[in-house]
Amino acid sequence: MQKKLLLLLALASWPSYSYSESLAPYWGTTGNAITDQSLNWSMGNVLPEPPGLDIQNVIYSYTIQKESGEWVTVHVQNENANGTGYIFRETDEWKPGTYTGMGINKVVPVGDLPRELWGPGSIEVEGNGSVYDANVTYTYKVTPCYDPQFDPNCPGYKMPVPDIYEVNLDDLYDATKDENIDLDRNVSLEQNDENLEENEKDKEEAEEEAKRKYRLEKALSVADAASLSAENARINAMNMASVQKLETYVVAGIPGGVYDDAINLIDANIPDGKNGLRNGLAQQLLHKQMVEMQYNLNAN
Amino acid sequence: MFNLKTGTVAALLVLSAGAGYAQDTPINGTVQSRCIIQTDQPGIYGNPNAYTLSTTNSDGGSPPVIRVDVTLAAAYYVDITAPSEFSSSPSLPDVVTWAGDTSVKTMSDSTTMGGYETGKLETGYTDRYDLTATGSTWFQTTSTATMGGSKAFPGGNYTALVEAACIAK
Repeated sequence: MQKKLLLLLALASWPSYSYSESLAPYWGTTGNAITDQSLNWSMGNVLPEPPGLDIQNVIYSYTIQKESGEWVTVHVQNENANGTGYIFRETDEWKPGTYTGMGINKVVPVGDLPRELWGPGSIEVEGNGSVYDANVTYTYKVTPCYDPQFDPNCPGYKMPVPDIYEVNLDDLYDATKDENIDLDRNVSLEQNDENLEENEKDKEEAEEEAKRKYRLEKALSVADAASLSAENARINAMNMASVQKLETYVVAGIPGGVYDDAINLIDANIPDGKNGLRNGLAQQLLHKQMVEMQYNLNAN
Repeated sequence: MFNLKTGTVAALLVLSAGAGYAQDTPINGTVQSRCIIQTDQPGIYGNPNAYTLSTTNSDGGSPPVIRVDVTLAAAYYVDITAPSEFSSSPSLPDVVTWAGDTSVKTMSDSTTMGGYETGKLETGYTDRYDLTATGSTWFQTTSTATMGGSKAFPGGNYTALVEAACIAK
């Protein structure tokens, strides 16, 4: 029983735990900002994307190259993105006595400075010397609820209110200021009752007219429906009749087997049919008469 | 029976309270050192020839690096002593000659620590640095062991120790 209760408790608390964790601040470190020998870098290529990022420390190291008698000054710096000058500038003095091969490894806390302030970075060398094996990294803190509107669970979150268009009240129609409306007109109670009765009568007449039209339309539609129904019945009857004929034809059985030619003509004289002969002769006589008529024209 | 038992216990308590004893009460305290030494990188002996062991990079070796962190300025020296004997080695056929030197490799602030190297005191194999600034300093120590008579080092593992100590002023 206790195990079941613990399981339920764990399941109930799981979503809120995982959700709140995504809103919790987290920390990280960038890679080396210096990717080539130019000793210049852009913060956009160094810092990760999420908003609400504050830089906390700058960690850098390099090795100096100089003659022992030289005085070399090295600046590790970032320009101020929102103004002039630098948001970060650390200076190392390499006085006479220091020499090539000496290095520096420094952690410089800068507080929590928003990323928006961090402009391009660089290492600047003054004097006869140079630096090599340079490494510049930044440690940062990301606060997802930096903007309370990022998530409804963020502290200080406010329900968004839509922008309401401001209306100039002077531009609105005001019936009390309409010159066409006589606000001083007085209507007596009797006149008012008469007007109401008249309005009621007009309304009833309009309703009756609408009902009449409706009944007429209904009757016409019924007549149309009856006509349509009769037509449909006739078409169905025709279809049925044709189907019956078709079925009669289709169901005629043809017995199987071999059907030899039934006509067996024996060589003999086949006399012309007398009917055909009579007809043929008549046609021939007519033809001859017609032909001869053209020669008898002159005789006539 | 019950009352007797109670009376006996009470008498014992009275006797105990009346006896006289000397007692030392300790006062404990812990002081955290503000000078911390740690090995940043162990060294490696290269063997450029049969009779030489060297931590120089060009000899195939790697010098050890010691990190010293100080959180209180001008309160400590650090003494770093290069080895003058092997802490473990095979049996050696002859006397070994030692050479060693310590130097500042890296620092956390060149402005305040840049003078450490020029200001060090060298006594034998020991270099003493005056830690005048807070921060971290990395020291590297080179060590060379040369077998006498140009004899070869016997095969085996060799270990030598660099000693570093914070000395309060």
